Parts: sequence; C-alpha cells; structure tokens
Amino acid sequence: MDNLRGSHLSLVIDMSPMQWHLSGEGPPTNAYPLTLDAFLSQLLAFLNSHVASKDENTLAVFGAFPGRSVMLYSSTDPAPNQQNINANSFPPFELVDSNIIRRISEEMEDLGEPEEEAPCALVGALTKALCHINRITLATSTTVNNPSGGPNSTNLPDPRILILSVSPDLSTSYIPIMNSIFSAQKLKVTIDVCQIYGSDTVFLQQAAHLTGGSYIFLDRRDALLQYLIMAFLSPPSIRKILSVPTQDKIDFRAACFCHKSIVDIGFVCSVCLSIFCQPVPVCSTCRTKFPFKTLQRLNASRPMPPSSNSNSARPRTDTPQLRTISSSELALSSGPMNGMTTTAPVGGLAGGSIVNKREPSTNGKIHEPPEAR
Amino acid sequence: MPPRRDNDFIDADSESDISILGDDDLDTRGGKGKGKAKAGDKRKRDKGKAKAKDAQAYTWEANYTRSWETVQEDEAGSLRSSVEDWMARGRRRRLLAPASAIRRTIIRHLVLLLDLSASMMDRDMRPTRFDLTLQYAREFITEWFDQNPLGQIGVVGMRAGLGERIGDMTGNPQDVLRAIADRHKLEPVGEPSLQNAIEMARSSMNHLPTHSSREILIIFGSLTTCDPGNIHDTLDSCIKNKIRISVVALAAEMKICRDICDKTGGQFGVALNDGHFKDLLFELVPPPAQRALSRAAGAGATNPAADLMMMGFPTRLPDTSPPSLCVCHSEIKSEGFLCPRCLAKVCDVPTDCDICGLMIVSSPHLARSYHHLFPVKSYNAVMAIDHAVDSAKGCHGCSRPFPVAVAANTSEGLSPVGRYRCPECHRDFCSDCDVFIHDVVHCCPGCGK
Ligand SMILES: [Zn+2]
Ligand SMILES: [Zn+2]
Ligand SMILES: [Zn+2]
Ligand SMILES: [Zn+2]
Ligand SMILES: [Zn+2]
Ligand SMILES: [Zn+2]
Repeated sequence: MDNLRGSHLSLVIDMSPMQWHLSGEGPPTNAYPLTLDAFLSQLLAFLNSHVASKDENTLAVFGAFPGRSVMLYSSTDPAPNQQNINANSFPPFELVDSNIIRRISEEMEDLGEPEEEAPCALVGALTKALCHINRITLATSTTVNNPSGGPNSTNLPDPRILILSVSPDLSTSYIPIMNSIFSAQKLKVTIDVCQIYGSDTVFLQQAAHLTGGSYIFLDRRDALLQYLIMAFLSPPSIRKILSVPTQDKIDFRAACFCHKSIVDIGFVCSVCLSIFCQPVPVCSTCRTKFPFKTLQRLNASRPMPPSSNSNSARPRTDTPQLRTISSSELALSSGPMNGMTTTAPVGGLAGGSIVNKREPSTNGKIHEPPEAR
Repeated sequence: MPPRRDNDFIDADSESDISILGDDDLDTRGGKGKGKAKAGDKRKRDKGKAKAKDAQAYTWEANYTRSWETVQEDEAGSLRSSVEDWMARGRRRRLLAPASAIRRTIIRHLVLLLDLSASMMDRDMRPTRFDLTLQYAREFITEWFDQNPLGQIGVVGMRAGLGERIGDMTGNPQDVLRAIADRHKLEPVGEPSLQNAIEMARSSMNHLPTHSSREILIIFGSLTTCDPGNIHDTLDSCIKNKIRISVVALAAEMKICRDICDKTGGQFGVALNDGHFKDLLFELVPPPAQRALSRAAGAGATNPAADLMMMGFPTRLPDTSPPSLCVCHSEIKSEGFLCPRCLAKVCDVPTDCDICGLMIVSSPHLARSYHHLFPVKSYNAVMAIDHAVDSAKGCHGCSRPFPVAVAANTSEGLSPVGRYRCPECHRDFCSDCDVFIHDVVHCCPGCGK
C-alpha cells in the first residue's frame, strides 16, 4: 500500500445509444429504468469522489461509441482552456465534469443518425486504456531518479480499469478481449466490471476474474452510485480489507465451435486451436485434415461408452453443480463420488484410483504417438 | 576470444569498451546521433581514469563492470538513447518476421540443455558465463511459458562427460525454475558431451505426440565435445525423430553445432556479448513456424504435423468448497480443478491429469496462444509528415501529442517524426505504443481486432 502516491483509474464507458435507450425504458419490461442522463450525473458524482479522495489520484475516461473509441478525459494531459468557470463550483470537479460532458455531446452529435448501429468499440477503448496506462507507467519508471518522482515510483500504484458496460458479448471480440486481459495481467492492472444493463457478459466476467477485479451485475439500476462507491471507489490494495464482492461461479469451460455448446471434454485442432465436441475429420476453421488413425484412436477412447453416445455428442448446458453430479454418475455410476464432492479428504485419490481400475483402456492413450505401435 | 571485438560489441557502452577507443573515435562514431552527447560527457568525466586504463585493452582484463550501470542516463536524466536502441532492434526483428499468418506449433516441448562444463566458468561474460546463463535461462523460461502456455520444458545439463537430468519435462514454470534455482548443485565441472546430453534429451521426448514440437535448445560455452560414439548417428536419429535443435554458442562457431542446427531446422548463433546472448535466446521464445518443421522432416513427410487433440476443460472449485486432497501434491485444499474424465482434483492447469493422463486446460490458456495465430501487422514508420493527410495530433493509442520537431538523424527503422502507422486502419501510433501493441497487447486499438 502506497500512501504517498494516488491511484490511477481508467474508466471505459459503453456508450451504445441503442442499449441506453433500452435501459431508459419504463417498467413493463424494465423494473428499474436508468436513462443516460441519470447515469451520467451519477457517474460524475463517482468521478468527483475519486478525484476528491486524494490529491494525487489520476483519472482517464474512454468512451466506446458505435464503431469507434475516443479518450474523453485525461488528468495527465493538459486540459483545454476553460472559458466560463462557475464561481460556485470546485475547480477540479468542474474541470472533469465539463470536459467529459462536452466531449460526450460532441461525439454523440458526430454519430448522427445511422441506419444501422455499428457494434460498440469496446475493444478499442479497452486497448487505448491499456496503452495509456502503459505510457504513464513508462513515464514514471524512467524518471525514477527525479526528486519529484518520490521514493518508490518504479510502478504506478494500483492502476485499474473500470468498465461500465450495457452491451451483450460480441463473439467476434473474444480474442481481442482475451489479449487485452493478458496484457492487463502483464501490466498488473486490475479490471473491474459493472454490467449496468442487459445480460451477464462472460468475457467481462473472465476479465475481472483473471485480473483480480470484481464483476458486479446491477440488479437495481437506481442504486448505481451506491454500487459504484461501495465497490469501485477504493483502490485494489485497500479492497482486501473491505471485502468487495467477487464472483465465484465463473466457469472456464469452453464452447465448441460447431454448436456453441459448452463442452468439458473437447477435441482441439493442433493448428488453430478450434474446439470441437466430437472428433471431426477436417477442421472447419483452418481446413486441416486430421490423420485417420487419430480419429479411430479418439473414437475408441471417447470418455463415454458407445451406448451413451448421444449423451456426449450433445453436451449438457445446465449449471456446473448439476453437471458435476450428472457426469460423475455417468463415469462411475455409484458411491465414491458423493464422498468426494462433499466430505472425504481422500476423495480425489479414491475417485481417481477407481477410474483407473474401471477404465484401464483409456489410461495414457492420448499421449501415445500413433506410429509408436 | 578476439573475434568478440567487433562493432556490435563496441556499441555496448561499458566503461571498458570506451577505453578501447581513442578520443577521436568517440567523436566520429557519433553517426547514430544520440550516443554522442552522452559519450562526450562521459569522456570528460573519465579523462583522468581513461589514461590509466589505456593499457587494459581487452574486456576480460577489465574489472567487474556492469555495462547497464555505467551507461543509461543522458544529461536530461532519461534513458531515451538506450531505450531507443532497444526499440530499433525490436522493430527490425519484427520487420524481418513474415507478416502473413503462418502455421505455428502451439503445443511445444522443449529440453533446455545447459553446458555445465569447466569452460562455463570463463569470465568473458560478467560475472561468469555460468551465472549469466542461469540468469537468462530464468528470464527465458518465464517468458517462454508466458507465450507458450500449453508447452512443457525439461532441463538437462552436460558436465563431466555425461548428460544429467536436472528437471523433468513439466508444464509448470515454477517447477522448472526450481530445478535451476540452486546454482551450487549445477557447479560447472569437466568436459561437456554433446552426444550424451542430446541422447538423454531425445529419450525424454520419444513418447511425445507428433502434433507437438520437440525442441532442444543448447546453451554451449565450450569449444570441444567429448563423445562416446559418433555424434552424426545421434544427429541422424534426431532428424528421424523430428527434433529441432537450436544452439546458442558462447565461445565460437563449431562445425558440428552449425551442422546439427542446419540439419534439424533449428537456429544457430554465437553470442557476441551479453545483450546479443539474450537476443539469441529470446528469438526462440515465439513458437516456430511449421513450414520449417516440415522442411526439416524432408520430402517424405506425409504427416502434416496436424492432429486432433483430446482436451479436458475442468470445473473450477470455488474457494468455499469443502477441502479435499489434490492428486498432484496430496495436500488438502479447497480450491482446485476437477478433471472432467476421472474427477481427480488437480491444483493447477494446464497439466496432464495425474490419474487418467487427459490434457487439462482452461479456455483462457487456449486463448493465450491465439495471438501467435493472428498477429498484428507491423506498423510502418512514417518518414515525413504529409500535412494534407496527417490530421491526428496525438497517438491513437495513448493520446500523447506527437513531437512537432523532426528529429535530425534517427537510426534505421525509426520514424523521424515519431509516428508509426497501422497498414490496416491507417492510424498513427507513438513508438511506445508500437512496441507495447506488438509485444504485449497483440491487438490494434484502431482496428479493434
Ligand atoms: Zn459442437
Ligand atoms: Zn484448425
Ligand atoms: Zn496439488
Ligand atoms: Zn483425469
Ligand atoms: Zn502512444
Ligand atoms: Zn490498426
């Protein structure tokens, strides 16, 4: 915990006009409507409290608009001149508020009235936020010996990114989002996510989980500011004490490329890493043909007996808990498994050895080179 | 050792190097522009000292100097010049790499073969070849696992005429690092034996599936090898087993090393100095292109080295689940992953299930490898500002304003106006972002993919 230096917050706002319109609609479909205007005023209150909580705190705001992403505000860059400063306002707040509102309205006007809304450039905004953090991190580490830099300025303390999202997952952005997550890990950036409207997004759940941030799905949109201040105002180093909600149920199983269903044993193309739920002769992504021997071998060592073939070809999509039980029933059909998931500390070993006896034919099969025989 | 005194080496600004040059040399070699002010500055400071050191013309006669401590800051107190050097090197490296998506081997198996013979105690690299090798090996392993999350590394040492297993093939970086952590256990002694060590490495990779790569990386500091038989037989069997051997030599080029690398499709390099040693090593971090592999396999290769792999995606147990023993360490823990086939609990993924042998990965591990398959096109250095087109005042990534002044002389591959343009979205980026996007993010902020 660094008491001398402030923390950095990069905020990424999802500005999809379509989703915000839906979010603002009234009760029959939407119990707790939140309009863009209401959102912005609560957001500015949150940003002001970030600025106010410590003099050294830095802030950058990025907007993800349909088809493009822009930096709306940065406290490290000199802000353009203020013409009319309200005498009754606190200048730092005024600076943040007026700049963000002005930039958002400029961008919204630029958007015009497109016939079809382009998907939101969340990836662009996220990568820009990372570039920005990288730049200020570089700047602090190269001026280590500057007297102004303080004693421990090799790293920006607690840089974090908060994503306020209203849009659903975009399947084409899976790889870029994962790449952004990994670079955030490298930079030691925490990614927090607040899903304000719509459904849970799996990608952003993973982003929060893999970087040690928290993911919050907003049930009560009218309490946005409450959520923001309780969960996201404190820098990550302080959160250990505050016990901010984290999610536990996150699921890292993969979806097959052929049916988009969740699989727990998949078949992966070694060239392009596409995932299939059953052995296929040709990869549908990269057109690679697989050796016939492999197909035979994999078909022979499928985890399920041929009788339950239909069962394995159609992967289960229910909740993880239910799934665990059902697959344990399939694999072992009786007793020891229940012991494993509930009590017995030796469960893992016992369960394993039983499988070992029951299915000797599958053991070690996968890693035998086909031509070894 | 004298071949070490070539241009590359002199460019590394250690004190001892500067004393090799006369004062006039220092002024004339300012062609790179940025080294000039700093070198001149240092010269004034060191004038008295340099005289005394004139006699000491060779590096290995110098005292223990750490070049990274003597160089660094220019008069403004920044690391600009050395950083720029490093960036220029990175840019050139990227431009040499093929831009199109090529097939790469994602599942890799590597045996790191360390020379632990007496020649590693040579002090021509500071502090010794051995210590430097260990240090770089650690960095290499960390970086390698970062880029090849599905790979595995084993470590073999060659000392006293034998091959010695130091670390078993494992996918856990901590295990590999632990294997080479204790330098006293690795104390160099005796003669190296290439044949014995390669045979040992080969035998540990015999059972591997064909779709994964089999690689041996040799860090070789000796100029001799002491073999029990004909090393060409070993070479032939390596070719047959499709093992790719790369050698980083610390002393000089040996015919047999060059042959081994050429015939198995690996890379061979002689390290000229510390920095070059590291470069050579880190060139081997990204997964090898598969076209080279099939070339090495010869015309008769019918196996396209592509295969379908069965993988298990585990269920993650939350921290709140009741504790149970893991199969890998037999420790009681709450968190862990359940093998989807046998439901054994393992601590960490990716791994092979200890019970049923299924390869267990989580989807982010697969995703971590995707950037090798879909790389970001390298940006082009903008050589001059066309005022009609260049409206952007700041970097598209970090929004920093571009410099207004045009730098007088920049080294090859760097933009005099500090702009690098994406060939896809035609946005301009600063040099920091260029490096960051290509080395870390692997996603262009302008294109968004
Ligand atoms: Zn499928
Ligand atoms: Zn494929
Ligand atoms: Zn364990
Ligand atoms: Zn298993
Ligand atoms: Zn930039
Ligand atoms: Zn681009």
